[in-house]
Amino acid sequence: MQPQINFDDLVQEHRVHRNIYVEPAIFDAEMERIFEHNWVYVGHETEVAESGDYKMVRIGTQPAIMTRDEDGGIHVLMNRCMHRGATICQDERGNSSYFRCWYHGWTYSNRGDLIGVPYPGGYGKDFDKSRFGLVKAARVGNYRGLVFASLDPSVEELEDHLAGASYFIDLFMDLSPEGRIDARCGTHKYGYDGNWKFQMENGVDGYHPNFVHQSFFEGQGKKFGRKVMKLFTDAATYESKDLGNGHSILDMAPTRRVNRPVANILRGAVSQAANDAYVRMLLDRYGEDRTAEILGASNVNIGVFPNLLIIGIQFRNVIPVNTSRTDVHLTPTTLVGVPDEINVARLRAHEAFYGPAGGGAPDDVEMFNRCTEGLRVKGAEWLELSRGLNREHRDGRGNLAAHISDEVPQRAFYRMWKQRMAGEQRASEPARLRPAARS
Amino acid sequence: MASLDRSTAENILFEEARILDGRRYREWLDMLTRDVIYWLPCSGEEDTDPNRRVSIVYDDAERLLRRVERLESGMAHAQSPPSRTRRIVSNVQIINGREGEADVNSAFILYELRHGKERIFAGGCEYRFRFEGERWKVAFKKAILVNNDEVIDNLTFIV
Repeated sequence: MQPQINFDDLVQEHRVHRNIYVEPAIFDAEMERIFEHNWVYVGHETEVAESGDYKMVRIGTQPAIMTRDEDGGIHVLMNRCMHRGATICQDERGNSSYFRCWYHGWTYSNRGDLIGVPYPGGYGKDFDKSRFGLVKAARVGNYRGLVFASLDPSVEELEDHLAGASYFIDLFMDLSPEGRIDARCGTHKYGYDGNWKFQMENGVDGYHPNFVHQSFFEGQGKKFGRKVMKLFTDAATYESKDLGNGHSILDMAPTRRVNRPVANILRGAVSQAANDAYVRMLLDRYGEDRTAEILGASNVNIGVFPNLLIIGIQFRNVIPVNTSRTDVHLTPTTLVGVPDEINVARLRAHEAFYGPAGGGAPDDVEMFNRCTEGLRVKGAEWLELSRGLNREHRDGRGNLAAHISDEVPQRAFYRMWKQRMAGEQRASEPARLRPAARS
Repeated sequence: MASLDRSTAENILFEEARILDGRRYREWLDMLTRDVIYWLPCSGEEDTDPNRRVSIVYDDAERLLRRVERLESGMAHAQSPPSRTRRIVSNVQIINGREGEADVNSAFILYELRHGKERIFAGGCEYRFRFEGERWKVAFKKAILVNNDEVIDNLTFIV
């Protein structure tokens, strides 16, 4: 079992200890205390759109299967035969109303019930198949199509867990005039030999873009004649925000207006006619005020504790493998009900920056690799997360906020991380403002 | 007008391999037509529509130019230091040769070294060659990596 860990020695208000990235005992504790007792993102409902569809997923390091049954219900079944422990599903995606373990032929429905045992004479009349159904996630939740699973039945309602993140998730989904997103256009996968929390921190980091992504922005600047890097300088009016329960956002909404193209990254990539048709659809469905709000928030970086980032047009699933290995699955999305041209432009824009050959994301991954190497240095024990502590305030919705380049999101993540790891009460405390400095 | 024979096709592909291994990206761009499409799908062995399914790379000439400029900028951190590669190109076949155009298939193994880590990639390429001006150029290149639907840590060099 795990040694007694003092989390006050690992996570403090303005810094975290290198051990949280390099200690196998802490990784093991995370897999249990965070991934077995929390809502964990597994996929989007459209990834199992039809009856019988399934997709292999992970809860922490545990293999599972997300399925859609004949009545439309979504299940998350642990991928482990109840007989002698083999995996029962070998294909990443497919369609089947049942799963057969090919070791000894035990067969399960896509709801997880044991429905077939070959040569039952070996088990006698008392053999009760209902005792040998697949282990299932105790709870499966669906918020606007995002599917989460919890192995712990005592977690709060999904919407309560999502706290302030649900407002921004709604804006993302409402980019479709039908309020529906489709996540069936494939998946990018990259990975790195480093800890999973590097990716969770980086996805809501507004300090790094001008340095890590300078080469990409300069390319954009040439194409659109714009200095994109202004968005992340000290003069920018964007903000980083704590949305509660470890969730966060880089909020680039304040300066957007309804008559702009669909999203920052699509600027110039969509014909005026398609853009106008799309905006008309939104106005018809949502009215002016809501449409302005939706389009204003159309470029997002949202972090959902512990393992989901919603960035650009994608759902990004951060999959811990071990202390120093992480896989990342990026699923771009298309909007239901909009001109095809817009969805094609979304895919092209996503490809330009993201994925293993993208012009942006691989440079983030390079930084994760450099951090893994740098953190071999033991003499420097702490990672500094104090940026913006001197200027936090509450936004109009009551979220703790500071400048977009400040480390509000990372502090929010680690507050929840510490709570979960230390096994504290499930209600999350609102973050406390630092008292104003005395002159 | 010209029609492509296998020996000429091989020479072009060997030259392309040499240029890409040498990271001489501008010379590589010169091998391409203005309407070129360079495509790395990530759908495993399935054929897909690149307008309905995301790809690892789906570049036209302009996006390729951005890609090369980024690699030349010195600020492409995922290629600082750059990958050292050596590719072997083989199994060259002219699938559909006609006047002025030819579809060519090939296979490759690509060794890559970066930061002391060695990786081997393998795959097949589907090309369309077109005779323009005085030489055969590449109008279409689809590189199907065997591992294209698996986790790939870094694919920022040009395959």
